[in-house]
Amino acid sequence: MWHNSLITQLAVSPVCGYLARDAGAAEPTAISALALAAHGQTDAARQAADWLAATQATDGSVAVRRNTDGPCWPTSLAVLAWHAVDPVDFAEQIDRAVTWMLSIRGKTQVRSSEIKHDPTLVAWPWVVGTHSWIEPTALHVLALKATGYGDHPRVREAVRLLVDRQIPGGGCNYGNTGVLGQTLWPHVQPTGLALWALGGETLGRGRIKASIAWLRQALCQRTTCTSLAWGLLGLQAHDSHRGGTIPDGASDWIEQAQARNSAGQRSAYKAALLSLAAGAVEGRDCLTAPEVRDTSTTRGPDHAVEENVQ
Amino acid sequence: MTQHTPHDKVDVNLPSNCPKRTTCGLEENARVRRAMLVGGSLAAAGVIGYPLIKRVSRHRELVFIARHQRYDGSLVQTIRDGLLASGMSANDLVGKRVVLKPNLVEPTRAVPHMTTHPTMILATAEVFRGFGAHVIVGEAPGHVRDTEMALVESGLQEALDSIGLEFSDLNYEEVKWVKNGGRASRLGGFHFPQSIVEADLIVSMPKMKTHHWVGVTAAMKNLYGTLPGIKYGWPKNVLHQAGIPETVFDINASLPKVITVVDGIQCMEGDGPIMGSPKQMGLVLVGTNAAAVDATVCRLMRLNPARVGYLQLAADRLGPIDSQLIDQTGEHWEPLAQTFEILDKPHLQPLRDGVLMS
Repeated sequence: MWHNSLITQLAVSPVCGYLARDAGAAEPTAISALALAAHGQTDAARQAADWLAATQATDGSVAVRRNTDGPCWPTSLAVLAWHAVDPVDFAEQIDRAVTWMLSIRGKTQVRSSEIKHDPTLVAWPWVVGTHSWIEPTALHVLALKATGYGDHPRVREAVRLLVDRQIPGGGCNYGNTGVLGQTLWPHVQPTGLALWALGGETLGRGRIKASIAWLRQALCQRTTCTSLAWGLLGLQAHDSHRGGTIPDGASDWIEQAQARNSAGQRSAYKAALLSLAAGAVEGRDCLTAPEVRDTSTTRGPDHAVEENVQ
Repeated sequence: MTQHTPHDKVDVNLPSNCPKRTTCGLEENARVRRAMLVGGSLAAAGVIGYPLIKRVSRHRELVFIARHQRYDGSLVQTIRDGLLASGMSANDLVGKRVVLKPNLVEPTRAVPHMTTHPTMILATAEVFRGFGAHVIVGEAPGHVRDTEMALVESGLQEALDSIGLEFSDLNYEEVKWVKNGGRASRLGGFHFPQSIVEADLIVSMPKMKTHHWVGVTAAMKNLYGTLPGIKYGWPKNVLHQAGIPETVFDINASLPKVITVVDGIQCMEGDGPIMGSPKQMGLVLVGTNAAAVDATVCRLMRLNPARVGYLQLAADRLGPIDSQLIDQTGEHWEPLAQTFEILDKPHLQPLRDGVLMS
């Protein structure tokens, strides 16, 4: 496969940053660990996971970069990485991180006619002390589901938030559906992430279906690297149940996106994310450690409709 | 002459999930001006730190306006003329690091009037390269994490490639802490990307637009996009929670080396800065003082700059907003002004007060 050499290259430097020549950062390194684990590069994946463990603060959080005071939204990604690499060896790190994650609550406000979404729902912010937004919420939901907290009340409320923030015509953006009477536009990347987190959910099924349809038509050969990767990861979460959501040609699009990345920015983060998406498109399990894949369910059970969100 | 009426407060009526509900400025400004008169220095007011004391300005500033501008026209000549008319010296820029900061908040091909036009950026780059400067473009899009998407959708990527212009993704760069030079908000300082901190000159290159929360977005508000999403989120909700007018003021007070080139050719009115309608003006503005430029932008839109929260804070502290203290070169603003639609919302209606509408 075209990405074997990419994975081999990633395995040489599993701790990576967003940009070429960038110092290691938590999100790219966690994505690198996930991609390497999904493609069977266990030693390199462990190096990335070890770096994340060394970056973890005593309160369990993992900041965006080592030796900075936050924000710590990548804690969720570190949990996903540790869980995918070795949930037993990293159990202590995961426990502390989950404790920290469950202590963080997005800021709420009273409902307003000027804002379409329900601002009373609690999920996760990018930065402590601010409102809950789509992408950090999706990442935390994925991490908590992967580690067995899928039925936790915080996760259930966050799922309601993710459904509530879907734009009625399908898709979502950073997390506002409408402001001052105007419906806003969806974007590929947050839609993909939200759909990944909503895999296996039946709550708000109509909205999820609309977002899947929107995302399928939005993805194309020209879709940029991270949007393409997150978009496909979102679609694969709904593929096994319903069939055929991954667009034809997705593998070629990933290869072409990586070719553009190699010729231009040479971002290790983008390379890792595209490798992860390539694995998902091939049907690889992206979130479960190889040792436990045969003995556990990789996605939480479908959750019954708790309320009618449509 | 614009009247500064200290009895008014502007409640920008912002939802707390995004912008903070806040009252700002005119009384504060009046108090500061009184302190200047009584004590002769802002230090006497006991509220403003050293950086602002240095920058107190009741002095005059100059704003250059060019009309009949087109994206396929002679923008290089216009921008060069504007910079020289504004007192920029080409000799001083040899070897200097210049960062062009466009507005790419949430680009989509369907709405080109939302973002700074690529030809404006190329023309400005050509002028500064001609002055001998090292030019890069830097931006931290506020609503999208995929900066590559922002570059492609705005048309900027193709433009950058056409002349080999370097781009800095400010959302993900390493940062340096800079003390808050304004102190209107509770934030102690800002995490600015390395490219911004190390720049000899930052060129704010906004699109001339209405803004559904604060009325107008141009030179000063555009500098929100110097702060990295990796530290402030998408959207930069940390700033919203600390107050939009206050943080716009604080960011500008903390970045001393800024000039402005405004894309006022195809503008946005109504539900800006994202969902508004195109408004053709055919203007380019250039100035070395962002407050003076923004006050002129307001007048060109027939909006009252003294009712814009961050300009209330900036008035006579970062620069003049009184038309009597702003010298216009090129064209004068009055015959060029056109009424920009704004949303029919109570928090925006004061922007029309005291403005001649016809």
